[in-house]
Amino acid sequence: MRDAYIIQSVRTPGCKQNKGLYNQTRPEELIAFIMKAAVERTKNLKPEHLDDVMLGCAFPEAEQGLNLGRIAPKMAGFPDKVSGATVNRFCASGLEAIALASIRVQMGWADVTIGAGVESMTFVPMGGHVPRPHPEFSRTNPDMYISMGITAENVASRYNVTREDQDKFAADSQAKATKARDNGLFTEIVPTPAVKYVKQADGTYKKEQFIVQHDDGIRATTAEGLAKLRPAFAAGGSVTAGNSSQTTDGAAATIIASKEKCAELGLEPIARLVSYSTIGCKSDEMGVGPRYAIPKVLEQAGLTIDDIDIYEINEAFASQALYSIRELGIEKYMDRINIHGGAIALGHPLGCTGAKLTATCIANLKAVNGKYGIVSMCIGGGMGAAAIFERL
Amino acid sequence: MIRKIRKAAVIGSGIMGGGIAAILAGAGVKVQLLDIVPFDLKEEEKNNPAARNRIVKAGFDAALGAMPALFYSPKDAGLVSIGNLEDDIQTLSECDWIVEVVVENLKIKKELFTKIEKVRKPGSIVTSNTSGIPLKDISEGFSKEMKQHFMGTHFFNPVRYMHLLELIPGAETLSEVMDFIAAFGEKNLGKGIVWAKDTPNFVGNRIGIQGIGAIAKAMIEDGLTIPEVDAIFGNALGRPKTAIFKTVDLVGLDTVIHVCKNSYERCPEDEQREALILPEFIDKMAEKKWFGNKTRGGFYKTDLTPEWKKLRKVLNPSTMEYEDLVKASFPCIDESKKKATLKEKIDCVLNGEDKGGKFAWKMAANSFQYAANRVPEISDTIIEIDNSMKWGYNFEMGPFELWDAYGVKKAVERMKKEGMAVPANVVAMLEKGNTCFYKLENGIKYFYDFALSAYKAVPVSKNKVSIAAAKGNNKTVLANKSASLVDIGDDVFCVEFHTKMNAINAEIVDTIGEALDYVDKNGCGLVIGNEAGGMPGAFSAGADLSFVSKLCHDKKFAEIEAFLKKAQDGIQRTKYASFPVVAAPYGMVLGGGCETCLGADRIVAHSELYMGLVEIGVGLLPAGGGCMNLWKKFITALPAKTAGDNNLAKFFVPAFMNVAMAAISMSAAQARENGYLGQADRIVYNRDNLIGEAKKEVLKMVDDGYAPPAKQPLIVMGDAGQGMVNTEIFNMLNGKFLSEYDAFLAKRIAFVMSGGEVRAGSAVDEDTILKLERDAFVDLCKEEKTMARIDHMLKTGKPLRN
Repeated sequence: MRDAYIIQSVRTPGCKQNKGLYNQTRPEELIAFIMKAAVERTKNLKPEHLDDVMLGCAFPEAEQGLNLGRIAPKMAGFPDKVSGATVNRFCASGLEAIALASIRVQMGWADVTIGAGVESMTFVPMGGHVPRPHPEFSRTNPDMYISMGITAENVASRYNVTREDQDKFAADSQAKATKARDNGLFTEIVPTPAVKYVKQADGTYKKEQFIVQHDDGIRATTAEGLAKLRPAFAAGGSVTAGNSSQTTDGAAATIIASKEKCAELGLEPIARLVSYSTIGCKSDEMGVGPRYAIPKVLEQAGLTIDDIDIYEINEAFASQALYSIRELGIEKYMDRINIHGGAIALGHPLGCTGAKLTATCIANLKAVNGKYGIVSMCIGGGMGAAAIFERL
Repeated sequence: MIRKIRKAAVIGSGIMGGGIAAILAGAGVKVQLLDIVPFDLKEEEKNNPAARNRIVKAGFDAALGAMPALFYSPKDAGLVSIGNLEDDIQTLSECDWIVEVVVENLKIKKELFTKIEKVRKPGSIVTSNTSGIPLKDISEGFSKEMKQHFMGTHFFNPVRYMHLLELIPGAETLSEVMDFIAAFGEKNLGKGIVWAKDTPNFVGNRIGIQGIGAIAKAMIEDGLTIPEVDAIFGNALGRPKTAIFKTVDLVGLDTVIHVCKNSYERCPEDEQREALILPEFIDKMAEKKWFGNKTRGGFYKTDLTPEWKKLRKVLNPSTMEYEDLVKASFPCIDESKKKATLKEKIDCVLNGEDKGGKFAWKMAANSFQYAANRVPEISDTIIEIDNSMKWGYNFEMGPFELWDAYGVKKAVERMKKEGMAVPANVVAMLEKGNTCFYKLENGIKYFYDFALSAYKAVPVSKNKVSIAAAKGNNKTVLANKSASLVDIGDDVFCVEFHTKMNAINAEIVDTIGEALDYVDKNGCGLVIGNEAGGMPGAFSAGADLSFVSKLCHDKKFAEIEAFLKKAQDGIQRTKYASFPVVAAPYGMVLGGGCETCLGADRIVAHSELYMGLVEIGVGLLPAGGGCMNLWKKFITALPAKTAGDNNLAKFFVPAFMNVAMAAISMSAAQARENGYLGQADRIVYNRDNLIGEAKKEVLKMVDDGYAPPAKQPLIVMGDAGQGMVNTEIFNMLNGKFLSEYDAFLAKRIAFVMSGGEVRAGSAVDEDTILKLERDAFVDLCKEEKTMARIDHMLKTGKPLRN
């Protein structure tokens, strides 16, 4: 197998579903922009060098449908020869896309690829517009279609993750994100154009563009403040809007090139995908996914938890993130986990998340001068995914 | 000129102003709501429009957030603009009606009217909602033109729910203005109009406040307790169950004291003036600011234990301490609860030999005296006084009606025997051999006019059609103890239910069938409606549960199936009859009552409509065509050619949720939003006109050339809908928002409403869905948990969540 190097990894700011700054900006525009920006920021790389795009999206329908994997590279202005596909592994779609993009280069099927992810939960809400669970299977196995919030409650109650611990974890996530934003530490962000429809003096509307600089879901909060929120999913439960990930819009892109192409074009490798794992678990506690996916990927790579300098564990819910951290025995490494905050503060744009966390992971490895980083998340339906990146 | 209210101004954004703005908006009128600029603006706020509108914004927000709701629908609020009296006074020039609802202070009102006069457009109507200040004092100094367009419009709180609107003409008010406001108040705002004279506190509060004062005083003198008094003057005498002191807690003791004081000061000749000096303990309450619910304590108080358990307490006037509330009663009150009609209850209580009965009689006699002595001082006839108490205080009977119910002669003899003065006008009436205040002859209701010393017909709005009057005029065609068919004129007939809460039983189902046969032969159309009283009242609270319960316990499942079949056939026949059938629902329209309306060709509904299919609460599902017809309302609202192409889930989910969550609308506007009322269904603001409007609708449909609907298969959501429901129910179950049995019931409801085991988008015969309804209903009747739910509801009146 050939060596495949990551030569660029960037993301847009994440903005809240419906109320956020992208609430009038279509997902195609977000993903087209970030892919174009990724190419433009990479010294010596031209769009015509690209072979293929793997685009992760959890709900590829409506605005995200109609072959978005092909449409997005065209909207980005890439030449006709750059092919594309939409990749779906629910919440790990973006990570899956990067893994596929890497494999293609490693296998020699392509020289330069993009692994990316996009989700506008504003335009296509979780569940999609036309959910149609199978009539008989949903009767016998309703848990296969379970609401994510209920799975978080199940994890909290089955594994004794208290409300207090969840709220503290959530408040810490917000505090870390606030600090990172205020100190300009999100170096993986590219300020992104967004649009809004503005009523003109004559009563008609016009689309106007503006630039989004930061993640817009970060807020000042405390564990005490979060403790006042009502349970969002279950009567008497412990999972609230405050200790769950935010539903968010965003896009991210990572460019991968073969060792040979790097040498030929003068591209600078910054990291590489060492290994990638996925694993299934019970659907009604899907949040435990990282607890199984991370040991699996470490074993594949011959590494241990102690070798990892940066963990980006998606905070779908504080309950499942905390459970996974405890079970993995990495509570002692809290200073390596989600150091700039996680999805509770920054949002979880479903199919974008894996791509977004990869950009964050590589940036954070650089910030701490680390070597290995892990990106991991739980996946609806009962799965976990994890990838190890090595900074070069 | 044809007068119209295109835009109205409401000045004063307190609870009354907000309420008036809300019903005006509900009637489709643009409203400018104004209030003062706050006095305490900081320097930097003086040019800030938001700060300057702070008071009106707070008032408007309070009106929007009020519970029970003041707006029929929050959407109505879009018609209301807010502003302040300094920056936005010019907007008054656009208004056809300006209502003043500011603080009860003559100087402030006069200053405001001076401002209004400068900007109002000539011809616009200007009214005051004052409850106590004489209008002649307010209008002193107005131009002649303004005086001609000025009058009193006194609404009652809460504006949306209290039927009474007192209209008080000034000396120079044009009759055209009076007529217009009366008609607008009746038709567009749905109010019951009472013409009052410009006397202090007008009619309702003059009579009402004396009653409260006299009873409070007598309570202390006779040594009764607060709960004892409330036990007497509640439902037993046809009054709201909040009776005396809970009502005051609700209204606010400060308001009551204010009204008392006003009556006392301005009515020096009032023979009962001393009753308006409230007992000393009430002064002490005022000092302590124990004004009732708004201060979290009045005559009653609810404390919470650390475990959030409610501890109800009541004031002991002699110690001024709150004590644990112990339910009070008297033998005559207990006895009255067994009586069916109000007249029987009144006989039982007022003739009671116990302390409660004697007290009730004493205060009733006192109210008879007071009311009779007020004619013609505050109103020309007895009608205004009775209507005010019914519409403004929610009494089932006004003082003269209550007197009639007890027997005028009997009461007068007892009063004489007990040494009480009998009003001269009543003595004179009896001397002429007239022994009642009201009588019904040939369908016409008459009242005794003291001025004429003779009976006179009670004036009836031309929009009103009275079933009672038709029945009194021998227009009953069919009758049994549950329902009647009445000829309401012009070949239109009305099926009237008259069971308790108008619950639907086998007899009603049979009567509907017979009515359809009769009208098919002899009429042009049918109204399904009734005139049962109460607030909000019940068009029909659903199927007669005790009947269903008995069949379940006796395991007579074939009979249940046969009953359902008959009910469904009746409902289908109303839909497909060769003549139009219009349902006229108001108030509670639940379960079978709702199904009856959904089956009609058209609904003409009162704006206060509490409509829903609530069967799941008793472990059942709508099986009188309700599941089918609700879905039909949704799917047929779409252009027929597009229905098959739609994402049916967008319609199926809300239709299903209506039934699965037993959703009840809180207004007719909301019933429309929920899908129970379609675009062709109409909303009438005045319940008194409901039968008349439904009859008009029938006649219009006939006149338009009525074409009965063709029976066509319905496009259904099929098993795709069941898949969606399965998963959502699983989530709700796991979230502990449902019991296992709720989940079981909901899935069965989804099965029926989605058309059974068919593919999404299939067209299914109506009869198929009706059969699914019956099968499901019968199956559920066999379930222990359904029987437990039914029995619990029958026993406690509350749903059981097992």
